[in-house]
Amino acid sequence: MTTTPRERAEAAAREDPLQVVATAGCVTVRVWQLPVRVIHWTIFSSVVVLSLTGFYIGTPYLSVGSDPRFVMGWARAAHNLAAFVFIAAIVARIIWAFSGNKWSRWDQFIPISKARRENAWAGFKYYTFLSRTPPAGAGHNALAGSTYLVVLVMFLVQIFTGLALLSLESGGALASISGWVFAVLPIPWIRFVHHLIMWMTWGFVIHHVYSAVLMDTEEKTGLISSIFTGWKRLPADRL
Amino acid sequence: MLETSTRQDSIVESLLARGVTRRRFLEFCAATTAILALPVTYETRIAEALETADKPTLVWLEFQDCAGNSESFLRARDPGVADIVLDILSVDYHETIMAAAGHQAEAAREEAIARGGHIVVVEGSVPTAANGVYCTIGGKTAQQILAETVKGAAAVINTGTCSAYGGIPAAAPNPTGAVGVPDLVSGVPVVNLPGCPMNVDNLTATIVHFLTFGALPATDEVGRPLFAYGERIHDHCERRAHFDAGQFALEWGDEGHRKGWCLYKMGCKGPSTFHNCPSQRWNGGTSWPIGAGHGCVGCSEPFFWDTMTPIYGRLPAPPGFGVTTSLERIGAGIVGLTALGFGAHGVAKAIQRKRVGDAVQTPVEIDRAALRKGRDEEGGER
Repeated sequence: MTTTPRERAEAAAREDPLQVVATAGCVTVRVWQLPVRVIHWTIFSSVVVLSLTGFYIGTPYLSVGSDPRFVMGWARAAHNLAAFVFIAAIVARIIWAFSGNKWSRWDQFIPISKARRENAWAGFKYYTFLSRTPPAGAGHNALAGSTYLVVLVMFLVQIFTGLALLSLESGGALASISGWVFAVLPIPWIRFVHHLIMWMTWGFVIHHVYSAVLMDTEEKTGLISSIFTGWKRLPADRL
Repeated sequence: MLETSTRQDSIVESLLARGVTRRRFLEFCAATTAILALPVTYETRIAEALETADKPTLVWLEFQDCAGNSESFLRARDPGVADIVLDILSVDYHETIMAAAGHQAEAAREEAIARGGHIVVVEGSVPTAANGVYCTIGGKTAQQILAETVKGAAAVINTGTCSAYGGIPAAAPNPTGAVGVPDLVSGVPVVNLPGCPMNVDNLTATIVHFLTFGALPATDEVGRPLFAYGERIHDHCERRAHFDAGQFALEWGDEGHRKGWCLYKMGCKGPSTFHNCPSQRWNGGTSWPIGAGHGCVGCSEPFFWDTMTPIYGRLPAPPGFGVTTSLERIGAGIVGLTALGFGAHGVAKAIQRKRVGDAVQTPVEIDRAALRKGRDEEGGER
């Protein structure tokens, strides 16, 4: 049975009228479901808080005078609180990778299928000026998806090193779980890794925003607004 | 103390003979109970154990060291306790303080080993490179002496970071192949009392624990007794309130330094170091490094010379960028270069876009084309 893209869009629209709206030659699709968007902005805002407070904790640029303000105390409290929000968001996103729609699933981040590998190659050619055509797709292109996998690994290392450093003062179960790491890497080097990943994360943020702008100006699918609204307007054959 | 004739005496008898009163003895038991973080009821148990215990024979070995732990050993809290410490132990061999020399001294060590059940205290690391020739005593290498001496020993106590983990002699590039005692000894219980030097209060408490309970105290994963190394310096530091308040010394001798504010920004390693310095202190409890205005250097952590440096910097220097480049500068560089790189990429893409033209039809164009097509079809039908 052969179906045209248009028929596939209509079928999808019948199945889930809230998520797909088909018009003339295009479809408007809710690519990013509400949890994906909420998690995205939770990660972003917690990373902002964690970076600002973390940078202060690592390099206390404010030295208050004789009138103590408890600056470091508050910075550390905010850092620890934001850290647990961040951890919750990462855990939620991992769960959603197994329960969300097809554009948020785990296979979007690991190019194992032939189609995704070809898509990654197309993305590589586009970025290296070998091709003028951006990689086709509705959600993440395969190259972007793989980048997010690297970022996830960075975030998991960041969470682990953060918890290990917290365990130095908290002791207890946290120390039992993470204490082994200090035998592998001494405490100052764990801090080193923790700081380095913060900087790498902001390098990623620059790349992430740049690529979003680049792709949106190229394809004009409403990519940037989609992370607020969830909707993208796509050629029907992209679905 | 090196007379072997008093060995059969109990500790208390020997103390009384030296003029240490029973009251002073009980004070010592109470203080040791506190160091070991035991409930106060253990004071009597410790007193009983010390009263009945025979003086343990102690053999003190020195290898690649600076004798700093011997110095620390001789600076036990006050004369009364020094007597106690030295009288609790029958120090049969200690190169720095024994009267005997040469063959006579080596004979004392061999005699103690032959009796067995002795406590071996090691100070200094053991060189293993070039068959251990970097440290030989009486024609024997440190490795040989260690192997001989631990045979039949009841316990091995490593004093100082060198004998525990290799310490400064093992710092990169470690030309003598120095290692800590735990790497060479097996089959005998070993405990590490690292520090540069170790605190003699912790040595006394460890020995008292051994005499009272017949076992070495519980240790962490790097072999340090939890009673002395279970808590982080930063969490018990007298300057911690200044840390939380955000009050930092920014330069040696500045206002913050004079006021005793936190030394975190001056590279203090208190946040990375586990030791009871803040509570036990040094030199009879008078002071300790941070109390004296210098940051902790992390001397009780394994390989501190390599891992805690720079001593006056917060974090290790990024490898390959020289010691004066901070991680924060490298980090800012990562962000700056990423921005530059993608900025350049954007310019190049804009040029490519201009030269080659649009790559794909945008949704708006697709819709327009579809509408136009629909209208044409309608027109055709009419």
